[in-house]
Amino acid sequence: MVQIVVSSAGAGGLAEWVLMELQGEIEARYSTGLAGNLLGDLHYTTEGIPVLIVGHHILYGKIIHLEKPFAVLVKHTPGEQDCDELGGESGTRYLVTALIKNKILFKTRPKPIITNVPKKV
Amino acid sequence: MEDYERELYGVEDDFDSQFAAELEVLAELEGTAALSPSRSPRPAPTVGRPRLTFEEAIAGGDAATDCSPGGPPGSGSGGARKRQLTADIQADTFLPPTPRIKRSKLDAARRLNFRPDEMEELLPPDSPTRGITPPPSPEVPAELCDNGSLDTGADVGLTGASPAARNPVLRRPPVLEDYINVTSTGGDRAFLVLRDEPVGTAVQGSFLDMRRRGRGQLDLLGVSFASLKEEVDSERRRQLLEEAQQLSDTLCSLRAEEEEEEAQPTGAPEEEPAPHQDASQHCLWVDEFAPRRYTELLSDDFTNRCLLKWLKLWDPVVFGRERPARKPRPSVELAPSGKEATASGKWKSHEQVLEEMLEAELDPSGRPRQKVALLCGPPGLGKTTLAHVIARHAGYCVVEMNASDDRSPEAFRTHIEAATQMESVLGTSGRPNCLVIDEIDGAPTAAINVLLSVLDRRGPQEAESGAPAMPAGGGRRRRAEGGPLMRPVICICNDQFAPSLRQLKPQALLLQFPPTLPSRLTQRLQEICLRQGVQAGPGALAALCEKTDNDIRACINALQFLHGRGRRTLSVQAVQTTRVGLKDQRKGLFSVWQEVFQLPRAQRRHMGQDLTLPTPTLLLGDGHTGLGSLATASQQFYHILHAAASTGEHEKVVQGLFDNFLRLRLRDSSLGTVCEALDWLAFDDLLGRAAHHGQNFQLLRYPPFLPPAFHLLFATSHVPRIAYPSSQQEAQSRRSRTQNLIETLVSGITPAARSRAAPQALVLDTLCLLLDILAPKLRPVSTQLYSAREKQQLASLVGTMLAYSLTYRQARTPDGQYVYRLEPNVEEVCRFPELPARKPLTYQAKQLLAREIELEKMRRAEAAARAGHSPQVDKGPPGGTGEKGVQPPAPCSHKQRLECVLKSTALEEQPERDFFGRVVIRRAAAVSSANTAPEPDSAERRMGTAVGRSDVWFRFKEGVSNAVRRSVYVRDLL
Repeated sequence: MVQIVVSSAGAGGLAEWVLMELQGEIEARYSTGLAGNLLGDLHYTTEGIPVLIVGHHILYGKIIHLEKPFAVLVKHTPGEQDCDELGGESGTRYLVTALIKNKILFKTRPKPIITNVPKKV
Repeated sequence: MEDYERELYGVEDDFDSQFAAELEVLAELEGTAALSPSRSPRPAPTVGRPRLTFEEAIAGGDAATDCSPGGPPGSGSGGARKRQLTADIQADTFLPPTPRIKRSKLDAARRLNFRPDEMEELLPPDSPTRGITPPPSPEVPAELCDNGSLDTGADVGLTGASPAARNPVLRRPPVLEDYINVTSTGGDRAFLVLRDEPVGTAVQGSFLDMRRRGRGQLDLLGVSFASLKEEVDSERRRQLLEEAQQLSDTLCSLRAEEEEEEAQPTGAPEEEPAPHQDASQHCLWVDEFAPRRYTELLSDDFTNRCLLKWLKLWDPVVFGRERPARKPRPSVELAPSGKEATASGKWKSHEQVLEEMLEAELDPSGRPRQKVALLCGPPGLGKTTLAHVIARHAGYCVVEMNASDDRSPEAFRTHIEAATQMESVLGTSGRPNCLVIDEIDGAPTAAINVLLSVLDRRGPQEAESGAPAMPAGGGRRRRAEGGPLMRPVICICNDQFAPSLRQLKPQALLLQFPPTLPSRLTQRLQEICLRQGVQAGPGALAALCEKTDNDIRACINALQFLHGRGRRTLSVQAVQTTRVGLKDQRKGLFSVWQEVFQLPRAQRRHMGQDLTLPTPTLLLGDGHTGLGSLATASQQFYHILHAAASTGEHEKVVQGLFDNFLRLRLRDSSLGTVCEALDWLAFDDLLGRAAHHGQNFQLLRYPPFLPPAFHLLFATSHVPRIAYPSSQQEAQSRRSRTQNLIETLVSGITPAARSRAAPQALVLDTLCLLLDILAPKLRPVSTQLYSAREKQQLASLVGTMLAYSLTYRQARTPDGQYVYRLEPNVEEVCRFPELPARKPLTYQAKQLLAREIELEKMRRAEAAARAGHSPQVDKGPPGGTGEKGVQPPAPCSHKQRLECVLKSTALEEQPERDFFGRVVIRRAAAVSSANTAPEPDSAERRMGTAVGRSDVWFRFKEGVSNAVRRSVYVRDLL
C-alpha cells in the first residue's frame, strides 16, 4: 500500500495559474535552448480573446474552463536530516502550490506578421 | 374422306372452268379424258407410276450426260443413252421405246398436278412400291437437274399449260435466285426456285391452297370459304333487316303514335335467330340482344320516360313542330309503360321534381332549360343503349363520341360542332343529329369547359354564324333569336361526382340510373336462353343476376361464355361456382367495411331459419350447425375474403375495421368477441411485422383472413355507421410530436440533470411528478413581500425549471387572450387527455415565474462570464502596470520593442517638424535623407527586425493535438 501525502501549504492562499496549450512546437533560434528566452507576448483583446505573439507569428486562442481543475504539486523528498524529524515515514511529500482552473488553448493556425509590404507589387 | 372428296370436287369445278382449254388439249393427247388432274395419278396403279418416275430419272440421266437442255427429248440418241444408263442402274428395262410422246404427255399432266407437292409425289412412291429402286438421291437430282430438258419436252405437247413446271427443283439452294425449300416426309429436302409468272402463280397459288387444305386441313384462309360466304349472306340479310327496322322506326316516330306490338317487331325477332345461329360466334349476345325499340328497354321506366320527354322538348326547335297540347301528351308518353306507371302509383319527391322540370316552359329560344341530359350509373345498366334507342325513337340520327378517346379540348370542340351544326346528307334521310357523349367523366375539365361554352352560347351575334339550318320553315324566324346549340346532347357517365363534371351538373338534366330490377333482367335472360337453346332455371338466372349485381352486360356475357364453353344447361351451382361474371372492379373501402359488418340481405333471408346460430361458435369451429347454414356461412366467408382482397389495401381495411368495430352494437355481453377481435388484430400486426421485417412474405397469405373473421364475429343486420379510420394517423402524428418535444426537452436539460434522466425514465417517472413540483402555491403578491421561506421556494422552483430548461412563454390564443404556456410543453407528453386537468398556476404566477427565470438566467450568464473572464479582468490593470513597471530590465517583449521603435521614430521625426517648421530645416532634412538612402524606411525596417528577431519561433503542427502521454511510475512519485 502506497500512500502519497499531498498537502497544501496555506489555506486559501493558493495561486491560480493558467495553463497554456499550443498546437505546435516552440523552437529556439539558436542552439542554446529555450531556457531563459522570452516566449512572446500574451494580450487580450477587448472581447477577452487571448492573443499570443511568438516570433513573427500571432496566435488567437480561447479560454477554456477546465471541468477538472489541476493542482500543481511540488515534490519534496526529505533529506537525511529531515528523515528524523518526520518520524520514520517514507516521507515524500507533495505540496500543492497552485491550482489551474482555466487554460488558454491556441489551436488555430498562426498568422504571420508582415511588416514590410512593398507599396507597389 | 368424304369431305375431302367433296372438297376436291369443289376444287375441280373451279379448276375445270379455269383450265378448260388446257384440259382439252390434255384430253386429246391422253386417252384418259376429263379425268380430274388431281385424281388421275393418285389412284393410278403403282406400276405406271414408278415407271414414270423411272423414266424421269432416265431422262434426267441423259439430260445430265448430254447437257443439252435445248435438245428435243424425242431424239434417238437420248433414248439410246437412256437405255444404257438404265441398264447400268437397274436390271429391268421393259419400257418400250415408243411411248415417248405419251410419256411427255403424262409428264405434263403429272407436273401440272403435282408440281407443288412433288416431294411427296416423287420420293415416297418409288421407295415402297418397287423393290428395286433407284436410290432417292440420284432420283431427285435427275428430276432437278434436267428440268429444263423435261420442260422443253413438256412444252412440245402443251405450251404454257403447266407454268409451274418451269420451276426448277434443286438439290442445293440456288445462289442467285429466290427459292423455297421443301422437305419430304422422308427428310429429304429440295429447293424450288421462285420465278414470277403472272398468270401461273395466281392460279397455282389458289390451287395449291385448295389442295393443301383438302389434304392436311391447313386453313390458310382461317375460315373456310363456305362459311365466309354464309357470313356475307347473313350480313346482307341483317343489313336488310336493319334497314327495315329503321324504316319502321321512322314511320312510327313520324306518325307520332305509339307503337304497341305490331306485325314487324314480332316478325323481326323470329327471323333473326336463323342468321344469328351461324354468326353467334362472331357476335356478342349483348349486341345481338340489345334492345332496338323503346319497349324492349330493360332499364327503369321512369328514367326512360324522363329522357324521352326531355328529348321531345327539343321537337319545336329541331323539327319545327309545335309542342303538342298538354292533352295528348300523357297518352303518348305514358302509353308504352302504362302498366308500370299505374303499378308504381305515385312518384317520389325527387321524381316529381324531375317531372316538373320537364313540364316547365321552354326558355325564350324554344329550347328546354337543360340543354344536356346527363345519365349516370354503374356500368352495365344500359345507359348507352337507352340513349341510342330513345334518340332513334325520337327521330334523331345518333352521333356518338367517346369522351375518353377524344380527350383534347380541340377534338371535343370539333366533334361537338360537327355533330350539332351539321347534318349528314347521306343515308340517314335527313334526320337531325343527336350527340351522345359517352364516358364523359373521362374527359378532362378543359373539354367539359368547351362543352359548357357551347351550351352557354346565345344571342344574335352568334346566331347568324352558328345556328344550324333548320329543316322546317318555321325555324328560320326562330333562328335569329335562338342560340347556336340546337341539337340535344346526351352525356353518359359512370361517376356523377367526377370533379370535371361539377360545372356541368347544374346545367344538365341529371338522370340517375337505379339498378335494374332483377325480375325484369331474369325475364330477359330467360328469353335469351330460350332463343339460344340454353336450359336455365329461373333460380340459376336469379343467382347470376345477384352475382353480377344486376349488370345486364355482365349477365349476358356470362351466359354467352358458358354457352360457348358447351354448357347447355345452367344450374345455380354452376353459376355460383364459376368465376364468370365476377366484375374485376375494385370495391371501395367503405363498401368493403359495410360488407364486413353487415349481413347481406339475401343471407338475412336465409338466416331467418337459423337465426339462433351463434356465429362465434361457428368461428371457433365447434358449433353444430346445420349443413345449409354452414354452406351459406362458408359462401359468405369466401365472399368477404374476395371482397376484402379486391380492395388491395389490406392495411386500410384493417384500420377501418379496428376503428369501427367497437362502435357496433355488440351482442356479446362478456366482450368475448371483442377479445377475439383484438387477438386477431394483434395477430395481424405480428404477421405484418414478421413478414416485412424478415422479408418473410409467405406469411402474407394469412392476414386476408382477418376481415372474414370480423364478419363472423360482428356482422349484424343493422346498417353500420362507418367512419373513415383516422386513429392510426392521429396516433402516429402525435407520437412524432411527442418525440420531438422530449428531444428538445432533453437537449435543454443541464448535464447534471440529464445524466439521471434518460428519455424513457424522464417520460415514465419524472415528468408527471415534475409537473406537480412546478405548480406550487405562490401568493399572488409582489415578491418583495415574500417571506424568506417563500423566497427560497421561489428560488428553488426557478432553479428546477432552469435545470430542465423549462420556461413560461406568452402566447396568444385564437380568441385574443394571452396565456403563458410551459415551453417545451411537457404537459402534452404526460397527461392523459381524459383526466381532469391539474390546477394550473394563475396567469400572474406564471408571469412572475417567467420573469424570475429570465432574471436568473441573466444572473447565471453574468456569473459565468465573470468566472470565464476573471483572469483577464483581474489581470488587466495589474498585468499592464506590472509589465510596464517591472519588466523594462527584462528582455523586452514585442510590444515594448515596438513601442520603443515607434517612440524613436517619433522622436526622430519630431525635430524635423519643429515649431518653426522652416524650409531650411526641411531642406536640411531632405539633404540628410538624400544622403542616407536607406534611411527613410528605417522605422519599418526596425519594426520588422524587432518582430522577426525574437529568439523563439513557433512552428504550427496541423492535425489533432492529443495530450502528451507519458507513463509515470508510482516509484517515481515516491
